[in-house]
Amino acid sequence: MKRIIALLVSVTMLATLLCGCGTQAQSLTEEEKNTIVIWHDKEEAVSEALLGELQKLVPDVTVQLEYKSNLTEALKMVGNDPKAAPDMYFFAHDKIGVYAEMGILSPITDLIDRQTLDDAYVPMTLEAATYDGKLYQLPVYFETLLFMYNRLYMADENVPETTEQLYAYMEEKTRGGHYGFVEQHSTAYYSAGWIHGFGGYIMDGNGNVGLNMPETIAALEYHKKFVELMPGESEYATVNTLFQEGKAHATIGGPWLVSASRAAGMDLGIAAMPIVDESQIPISPYMGVQGVQVLKHAAENKTEAVKKVLNALMQPDVGITLAKVSGCAPAVEACYESEEVTADDVVMAMRETAENTIPMPNRPEMDIMWTVAADMLVNINMSGQDVVTSCEAAQKNAEELIRKMQ
Amino acid sequence: MAKALKKITQLICMFTVAFVLFCPMTANAEEERSAIYVQVPEDWNEPCVWAWDEDGNNAFEAWPGGETEADEGNKGWYYIWIPSWANHVIVNANEGEVQTGELVLEGGNVWITIEDPENAEVSYEALTEGDIPEYVERFEIHVSVPDSWKTPCLWAWSAPDGTNVFEAWPGEALKVGEDGWYTGKAPTWVNSVIINANEGSVQTEDISIDPAELWVTVEEDGSYEFSYDDPDAVSAPDINVNVMAPADWEAPCLWAWSAPDGTNVFASWPGEAFTEGEDGWLTLAVPGWINSVIINGNEGSVQTTDISVETGKDIWLVVAGPEEYELSYEKPNGVTADTGEETEVSETEDGEAQPDAGQESDAMTVQTEESGVSTGVIVLIVVVCIVIVALAVYFVTKKKKS
Repeated sequence: MKRIIALLVSVTMLATLLCGCGTQAQSLTEEEKNTIVIWHDKEEAVSEALLGELQKLVPDVTVQLEYKSNLTEALKMVGNDPKAAPDMYFFAHDKIGVYAEMGILSPITDLIDRQTLDDAYVPMTLEAATYDGKLYQLPVYFETLLFMYNRLYMADENVPETTEQLYAYMEEKTRGGHYGFVEQHSTAYYSAGWIHGFGGYIMDGNGNVGLNMPETIAALEYHKKFVELMPGESEYATVNTLFQEGKAHATIGGPWLVSASRAAGMDLGIAAMPIVDESQIPISPYMGVQGVQVLKHAAENKTEAVKKVLNALMQPDVGITLAKVSGCAPAVEACYESEEVTADDVVMAMRETAENTIPMPNRPEMDIMWTVAADMLVNINMSGQDVVTSCEAAQKNAEELIRKMQ
Repeated sequence: MAKALKKITQLICMFTVAFVLFCPMTANAEEERSAIYVQVPEDWNEPCVWAWDEDGNNAFEAWPGGETEADEGNKGWYYIWIPSWANHVIVNANEGEVQTGELVLEGGNVWITIEDPENAEVSYEALTEGDIPEYVERFEIHVSVPDSWKTPCLWAWSAPDGTNVFEAWPGEALKVGEDGWYTGKAPTWVNSVIINANEGSVQTEDISIDPAELWVTVEEDGSYEFSYDDPDAVSAPDINVNVMAPADWEAPCLWAWSAPDGTNVFASWPGEAFTEGEDGWLTLAVPGWINSVIINGNEGSVQTTDISVETGKDIWLVVAGPEEYELSYEKPNGVTADTGEETEVSETEDGEAQPDAGQESDAMTVQTEESGVSTGVIVLIVVVCIVIVALAVYFVTKKKKS
């Protein structure tokens, strides 16, 4: 009996020793606890500004910003491994659902009081960053599509206020190789604005697919006449270059188009989105919120350093600096008290447009919807297929793929 | 290494193309400008200025450069506004037949007095009286008219306010070029023109235009067509697109277009089906101006990403999957329908920025499976080690006892 007990003790000790090798050593040194690694995929100007602000505001924490071109895939692969994963990542809110489902994210409210957040942020940014009732992102800035026009061709007083005015303008001006208006008409991100303008949706916040909703179908039926007055090809480079080279009078594009257009010498105008005549709702594009997500292991093992970084990111100066270099709108309300921000017509247009935007769904199923909706749009806009048939088929396809995913 | 070099070369080419596309060094409307005044010998007609900087950036697209305008308030003086960065100039005339040597300027407005090609004096003190006429951005209008339309003129104005560019009808006579097109210029505030001839006795109706370079073709009866693209631009001959597609891509089709203008070859997706070529290659002829293709199959339900190709060259594409392909401009050796699938696809390119649902889902599944497998293997190894050690201890103990 003694031998059996001895044997069991030995086995237990051995097992403990061996198993110890497979788990993470939680005893971090003080230096490790004070080092925060943040992955990002932003341009150098943004990352430099972010690092500069953090170094200034939290000098006792070592912040390491690491650029990852394939951030989302990399996180999927190593998010569960504290040795390989970052402590935080700076990215758009729309992937929150994927990582929340993987169980690798810590709710921000575990680190910062909810009321403090509610008091500080533009409400829709917190709404966008919430998945399954929990806030997983500390917003930094947000972006949305804007209605832009070339003042050489379109005078301020001629900017269409409604979609019918826009259509009339396109009919008059689209000829000889110039276009009255161009957009990425068969890309779901851009088409969503029209769908929302009719009260439809691609996927709502609860994961319901809306491709065959009467409102979505009506939007796509209506949108077709606009597509007929645009170039057949509508991918990013084509649309942006047409606008920047003065071959299109107006477009719906992101803030990234502003500096390039102005650098090309364009007198660029930015206006409110046209209102859909039928619904009296403006074209309502998606809103993307860029911010910081905290990985669970960091929240648990580097709590103090993480809190310091998050608190620093809540400072209006950080929001203003990052918004300036990114060309986007700050998420912290107090930033709008700064003249630097209010004097920026692009930022203020984004802030105004954001009143009618819809946060990009952050559910994992949305990954499926981008592709299904894009295929549907190609069928309708480029292959000339029937709208109702295409929408019904896409709805069925999306539901099936989501079922398989679950 | 060769692959790495190839990739680097591709990247450099891409950046060069992007640079050329997005950083045109010819003048744009917003940049700072300097006035160049010139006084030329009597036999120098229609003086022009050719301007550039130390880096070789030219202010004008082609020799003889920008045409000067006579300053009505200062007889014998002509002026032109050039970008301030262009600090090297040559003044020329008579369609470039006479010219000065290179003049290096210090910046700001200058007055150049030319006695002959060898003697030109530069002054930074105003040698003219009154204000320098303001810079007005202009665009060119090219016109093709029937033979019976003599001395065609341009009449231009801004609608609806009715501000005219020229003092009196029939407006300004257009200058004929070597290519037979007549050309005139109008300020960028113009949005309406009429082309007329025979002293204004024949004319088009009002033409509503954008203030951008355009080509107007007028018929005998005054009807017209116009385009913002040069209709005489040389069209490239057809090219052949040769493809090896994956075996499970049924009826592969080609979708081809010109970026960034978005001109498609085919009317609707998924494009046109390939025909059987030699050695198992699928082939299709398309206009040589295309620079982007997508190969698709199964009625367009599977497809490659956008593939950029060089214009005017036959291409060979071995497609292994939506984002895996090998592109070459010469027929690859030894690739046939039988071997195509086994070809190592070394040159892959990333897909579009839009997330791919299938990939995302697969990646998630793979991740889950990988995590599960690796954890399971570790547990199994631990258990096996424990059992082996336990058994060894047990048998050694038992043996000693016996």
